[in-house]
Amino acid sequence: MSGIKLTRRGFLKTTGIVGGGLLIGYVAMPGDNTPAVIPEAGAIAPNAFIQLTAENKLVFYSPRDEMGQGVYMGLTTLVAEELDVSPVDIQVEFASVHDAYRHPEYGVQGTGGSSSIRVHYLPLRQVAADTRALLLNAAAQDLAVPLSSLTTDNGHIVSNGNTYPYSDFIATADTMELPVGSPLKAKADFKYIGQDIARNDALAKSTGTAVYGVDIDLPDMHYALVSRSPVAGGTVVSFDDSAARAVNGVTDIVQIDSGVAVVAKSFWQAKKAIAALSVTWDQPALADYSSALIKADYQAAIDSGEGDSKSEGNIEEGLQLATKQVEREFWTPYLAHTPMEPVNAVVRIANGKAELWAGTQGPSTARGLVARHAQLPVENVTVHSLFSGGGFGRRTCLSHVSEATQVAVATDKTIKLLWTRENDVQNGWFRQASIMKVHAGVDSQGLVTVWDAARAGGDLTPHSISSLLPGAFASSPDWVNSMTVSALENLYDGWIIDGGGVEGLVDDYDFPNKKLRHTSVNHGLPLAPWRSVGHSFTAFAKETVMDELAEQAGIDSIDFRKRNLQGNPRLLGALEAVEQGLKDWQLAEGRHIGIAAHGSFQSYVAQAAEVSVEKGKIRVHRVLCAIDCGQVVNPAIVRGQMEGAIMYGLTAVLYGDIQIENGAVKESNFHDYKMLRINEAPAVEVIIVESDQPPTGVGEPGLPPVGPAVANAVYRATGERLTSMPLQPA
Amino acid sequence: MIEFTLNGKLVQSHDEPDTPLLWVVRDSFKLKGSKFGCGMAQCGACTMHIDGRAQRSCVMPVAAVVGKSITTIEGLGTPDNLHPLQQAWAEQGVPQCGYCQSGQIMSAAALLNENPNPSEAQVEAAMAGNICRCGCYPRIKTAILTVAEQSQPGAVQVAIPMPVSEEV
Repeated sequence: MSGIKLTRRGFLKTTGIVGGGLLIGYVAMPGDNTPAVIPEAGAIAPNAFIQLTAENKLVFYSPRDEMGQGVYMGLTTLVAEELDVSPVDIQVEFASVHDAYRHPEYGVQGTGGSSSIRVHYLPLRQVAADTRALLLNAAAQDLAVPLSSLTTDNGHIVSNGNTYPYSDFIATADTMELPVGSPLKAKADFKYIGQDIARNDALAKSTGTAVYGVDIDLPDMHYALVSRSPVAGGTVVSFDDSAARAVNGVTDIVQIDSGVAVVAKSFWQAKKAIAALSVTWDQPALADYSSALIKADYQAAIDSGEGDSKSEGNIEEGLQLATKQVEREFWTPYLAHTPMEPVNAVVRIANGKAELWAGTQGPSTARGLVARHAQLPVENVTVHSLFSGGGFGRRTCLSHVSEATQVAVATDKTIKLLWTRENDVQNGWFRQASIMKVHAGVDSQGLVTVWDAARAGGDLTPHSISSLLPGAFASSPDWVNSMTVSALENLYDGWIIDGGGVEGLVDDYDFPNKKLRHTSVNHGLPLAPWRSVGHSFTAFAKETVMDELAEQAGIDSIDFRKRNLQGNPRLLGALEAVEQGLKDWQLAEGRHIGIAAHGSFQSYVAQAAEVSVEKGKIRVHRVLCAIDCGQVVNPAIVRGQMEGAIMYGLTAVLYGDIQIENGAVKESNFHDYKMLRINEAPAVEVIIVESDQPPTGVGEPGLPPVGPAVANAVYRATGERLTSMPLQPA
Repeated sequence: MIEFTLNGKLVQSHDEPDTPLLWVVRDSFKLKGSKFGCGMAQCGACTMHIDGRAQRSCVMPVAAVVGKSITTIEGLGTPDNLHPLQQAWAEQGVPQCGYCQSGQIMSAAALLNENPNPSEAQVEAAMAGNICRCGCYPRIKTAILTVAEQSQPGAVQVAIPMPVSEEV
């Protein structure tokens, strides 16, 4: 354990965006001088995002990746609105890696933090509006009519009752300058934004024709599987590959940074060979730890009272004002992401150029990793982004790209490297485990007077930076990267609080006197952002204590929250929407309702869960979910993300628990790392709160409230406050 | 050599006999719609029909399907000739990441072949072997029940209103 530092320092506010992107954003990155899109013959590409072909086909180059969250449709809708073309008529391509496609806040080309619609809402519309203005200018010139006499309609210019495809004006548009700052449509004029339009990727995904990384098949491609240290950070001492080499179809067995790779003509041959391989590992300190010992370290850390802290108001005064107090401690375990498509990468290197095929949350980092391991300049690496079979934060970590490149270099073969489900559960990156403590008080008016919270656990940012750096700076030496990461670890351990570990713990409500303390504990298990990051566990502590305070104060749990949300009108609004919706609910015998409200990723979500507990088994029957995410681009996708986040959250609430035994993950596949199934899935009702605010996140904010909503319902059913995840009633 | 019928065509596999059917179909016959999810019949992403029954192809040695008839998602319907379930899936916006959906649809199709009018509980029982990490379960259930309802004798055949863009 990296020690509990006794240093007490001022609090530096850090936000919980997907690990460390901001930091890299501030560092000068090498620029791209080549055009982002080279138009086909007869076409124009007035900017990096749009191409108009001679056949009047509009192509949109999506700067963000699609892993289920719906940007493929959502971002296309933004462009469609201002281009005045139906989004379903636009052909969508995943962008190549280029400066033009960098995330405006993260600095790298990445997807995460429920940010895509929020950060692209105006810029992408502007690009499309300028493109439409260019076509109008060209049409006015070609048709020799005043610009003001022209309008557009679904990919056509309308002049005097005649319609002309946009493509009629390509030649002239190509000679004109692209207008800037063209006016954007008013909300009242929206045709597509805000409409329930069926997703443009649904047909491909219902017919088996959508292409994922795992589907790439190249001539002479070989499969690679890797034997990795069962304990994270272990290194190869020696290996015996005699039996593995005897397996039919095996062509190469090579040592790489992460372990020993077996290369064969087919997946099945590689699978048989990896089972026959014998590797001896040098195990790191983590090998001495099992779950109980790790938890004991966390307990010692939080009990020490040490760490970094920040406070507002006066805790002592707040305690004196309180007529009732609640003090609770919470445990939330490590979790794996388990996207349905295990991570994989296809790498081909030939004639000084490399190509990568993969679905990732960070194609620019992926390009850098290929360049680093193939020892090529980044300009010589092409990334083909594909649909991702789930992300949830897992595809921000790209060691599989490094592995595939190392194997391709070592064997001089085109390689498809695939992680098995066992690799995915045991060898990856994990949601950080946490102990949290809240000591809070309420006065006779039902107002919270004090909120003193603490968390002990791993710091996410150094892990995220360590996985990003080698790809972000493809040619920087390894020692520079490890020095940077170790400096960061020290920084977070005693100097600043990692936002990803505490976000949401002291937020949302009008706490006049509040304190946040953090103690870093690190055992070496790699950590990654996991859907909703810190909010995925802080909401559990916060909303359970709020529920208990309401009970102590003798006030209904919704009323109590409302009283303390006067400074947070949007979360209040979401909660009131749930209150309203509940009026239509008839509760069957034995069913109980639990409430939770939590803001994350600039969106506001309140939920009610209807639960029964029979023979110690929790059954979640219904969830009512209200979200205020500002202007909605596609309501069907917003509802889908709420439904999905609730189901993803419920897997963690009912089952999720990565156990460590002698440093290794005990669980291995879906038989012992259980997932929520359809027969356990609640019905979900979603209320979208009307809003004129700019759009905000929907991929993650639906998750945090579901855990505490269920736990609070279980309390009503059993009288027992459950404070450990997964929830296990006595 | 192992001979079987794949989407109506007689085919010969030269893969080793213990190779799971999933990899034979994906890599030797280049049909990529069926997915690898767990490799131990736990998640259903690889579901195919073997003589009409939904089976997990990731644990089915190709030698075990000699003479049998295999249907994959590609044989169920195509973008131009959709199976009613595929149509319902697309119209109701069931898929999110989409990776598990071929398996989901194959399980649903086998269910409706056997029981054209399943109850909600029967849908849940038949679909419990298919994991969806995106949590599309409510929409999967609705899509199956909608198709079942429409296929009933006397059912009014109303196309599900597809919320496509307004054509102005």
